[in-house]
Amino acid sequence: MRRWLLDRTAQAAVTLAIAITLLFVLMRAAPGDPLSRLQGDRPLSREEIASLRERYGLDQPLLTQFGAFVGGLTRGDLGVSIEYGRPVTSLLAERLPATLQLGGAVILLNFTLGLWLGVRQAVRRGSREDRWLTVVSLGGYATPSFWLGLVLAWLVGVKWGVLPPAGHSDPLLDSGAGFMERTVDLLRHLALPVLTLSAVTIAATMRHQRNAMLDVLRHPFMLTARAKGLSERAVTWRHAWRNALFPVVTLFGLWLPILVTGSVFVEAVFAWPGLGSLAAAAVGHRDYPLLMGAALLAAVLVVAASLLTDLVYALLDPRVRLS
Amino acid sequence: MAAAQSRGARSSIVIVTGGEAPIPIPTLMEGAQATLANFEVADQLFLRLAALGPELITAGDRGFVPLLAREWTRRDSVTLVFDLDPRARWHDGVPVTARDVLFTMARARDPALSPRLAGLLRRIRSVNDEGDRRIVFHFSHPYAEQLYDATFHVAPLPAHLLAALPPQELRRSAYVGNPVGNGPYRWVRSVPGQFLELAANESFFRGRPDIDRVIIRVAADPDARINLLLSGEADVMDNIPPPRANLDRVAADPDLRLVPVPSPTVGYLLFNQRDPADLSRPHPILSDINVRRAIILALDRRQLVRAVFGSYGEVPFGPVSPLLWIRHGAPPPLAQSQAMARRLLSAHGWADRNRDGTLERGGRPLRLQLTLPNTSAIRRQLALLVQEQLRQVGIAAEVAQLEWPVYAERRSAGLFDIDFNAATQDPSPSGLTQSWSCGGGSNVARYCDPGVDSLLERAIMSRGDSRDTWHAVLRRIEEDAPAAFLYAPTFVFAVHRRFRDVAIRPESSWIALWRWSVDH
Repeated sequence: MRRWLLDRTAQAAVTLAIAITLLFVLMRAAPGDPLSRLQGDRPLSREEIASLRERYGLDQPLLTQFGAFVGGLTRGDLGVSIEYGRPVTSLLAERLPATLQLGGAVILLNFTLGLWLGVRQAVRRGSREDRWLTVVSLGGYATPSFWLGLVLAWLVGVKWGVLPPAGHSDPLLDSGAGFMERTVDLLRHLALPVLTLSAVTIAATMRHQRNAMLDVLRHPFMLTARAKGLSERAVTWRHAWRNALFPVVTLFGLWLPILVTGSVFVEAVFAWPGLGSLAAAAVGHRDYPLLMGAALLAAVLVVAASLLTDLVYALLDPRVRLS
Repeated sequence: MAAAQSRGARSSIVIVTGGEAPIPIPTLMEGAQATLANFEVADQLFLRLAALGPELITAGDRGFVPLLAREWTRRDSVTLVFDLDPRARWHDGVPVTARDVLFTMARARDPALSPRLAGLLRRIRSVNDEGDRRIVFHFSHPYAEQLYDATFHVAPLPAHLLAALPPQELRRSAYVGNPVGNGPYRWVRSVPGQFLELAANESFFRGRPDIDRVIIRVAADPDARINLLLSGEADVMDNIPPPRANLDRVAADPDLRLVPVPSPTVGYLLFNQRDPADLSRPHPILSDINVRRAIILALDRRQLVRAVFGSYGEVPFGPVSPLLWIRHGAPPPLAQSQAMARRLLSAHGWADRNRDGTLERGGRPLRLQLTLPNTSAIRRQLALLVQEQLRQVGIAAEVAQLEWPVYAERRSAGLFDIDFNAATQDPSPSGLTQSWSCGGGSNVARYCDPGVDSLLERAIMSRGDSRDTWHAVLRRIEEDAPAAFLYAPTFVFAVHRRFRDVAIRPESSWIALWRWSVDH
């Protein structure tokens, strides 16, 4: 197991190194320049642009810029954002908690409610409940999240005034507010973005889980389990569900990075201060240092999620470890 | 409504805006940090020596009101003397002195530290002190905007806190995270990506602000901003963007009032004078002034403005936004005449010989590409209307929406036929030299008329009333038709009715916030 783990970690490190190099090259190859846009609304002279180019090292050859980036990376320094004028690591660190709160809540809902509903559907296959849940989940899956977000923000936030339509916290909350008050405030702000993102993702989780369960429930060992006199609950959760987890674990591996950096529309609609909107703005501004920082974080998450998926596979199925 | 009110925060104000202000510190707002959001927050924290008066006149010495400086006098045509108000204090209680002004001007005039500011202040030859409270500015030559240059571009920083720092280190210093200013509001905290909080400066020497607490909340998406406003989570929203349905929604709320504010924006179709395929050659179509004039005549600019801005916009005469004082008294812009446009084109050899709806001359169709950034909803909407109006006179305009960095790169390289630009202007008309003089740094279309250059020079150097000269500049530019000046919008702000004495300034929206009052 240890050897297997070392091999997979080494593979992950190589993948990450290749991803970083490709990201760096592709970003520089994309049309557009981080400073040319400054000649737009409030124009700068050519000398001013040249001075800024020098400040951000953009006047250096590509290889030198890459060397400086890798050198900085080894010291934990991702450079200074051109757009914000602040260290990239600070910007990412500031946005990460909000991202983790949103992504974490969505994943939690997916892998509790989503899995449970998927299993229920499979066990009650063909029932009215199964049919209704299929309709509802497909409806959620087919709904564009930005549209759903706009509707929820207007209906729940503005028309009914039940929850805040945007933002991460109440800026007027007293600075001496206690933990409970702050938590309630956070949950109130988190509710609509989580609902919006979950409506789409839970549907997929439910479908995957339902199909995987149906597949497992057809196997002869299920009949054996029942023949041994196990309760239906034990058959479902201990024998069937564990075997039906594999496709869902794969889904988790795919979603983890997407939920961290890919909720751009939902972050915009709800003014949620996460990494997705920061990364999207960095793309729009060609803010190379920030873009590299965000892309690096996404690459690390993809690789880590892949590694984690393999680990979970290995834990769930001894054959994976042995092979 | 008005959640802020219901939470008992009667002397708080929550302003929702689209841009974050990560570094609202004078001399650090350079490059990408030279944003409106940074300037507007800096104006709450730091006072300039003087502010523009209600007429926004940047020329001469009379159109200004005192702030840090109690008064100013002129020793000669190139020397201005400012006397600081002895009551002025930094937020830590230390008096504001001439040393602060000298320290800041030295930073601002250093091209290595502040390239943008150094360019703007290039006509200041030296700054000296005469005692603790007197500062003397010497200029390189006589010109109309000496006082404007000395006061508008930069506000003093506290030398007693920053002089010991190596100049390059200020950006990375702890001061940036907790700036000490001398303005009506002091810094409380910033929650990145969400909001920043300011508190009233209790001992502000020009009078304590009535509003105790200012929250500037960030929501990049306009729908999110409107939702925050309509749900009562915010009291004020700046610049409600088109479509007009947004304005209607806000206007329908009885707790909110709409406040129109002249904008610093002017939108225009810029005609490239050079061939984008080979910049050493004139443009094969647009170098002909008759085609440019025909395009302008073909456009019903009033209808375009009405369609997008309703009553909150106008057609400008020349490249002049509502912010510039020189727009007052300027002639009205040309009205549309498609018949004249057709006659003009026909008289110069353009005809639809193959009956495909597009005019040709010498086998070349009158087909042009109109480029714009895909981030601008206003320009996207207008471009389609422009395309249709041009089609009616036989001009084929192909609309190309580009991602902003690509658009900006192609624009600055001169790779376009017609560029749909929206310029944000400073209050000074001297900024027109950037885009409309032969050697202007932003003259991407290579428009060059020595007559305009000469008039610009005269207007800038004039020490008397230069309004007529500026109007002559605008008339000459209109005659040359280097662009079709389409729109000059009025920004519309929404403010909760519990605020009184509301004044929103076009050059910096919240600069008069400390004078607002609130129902208690």
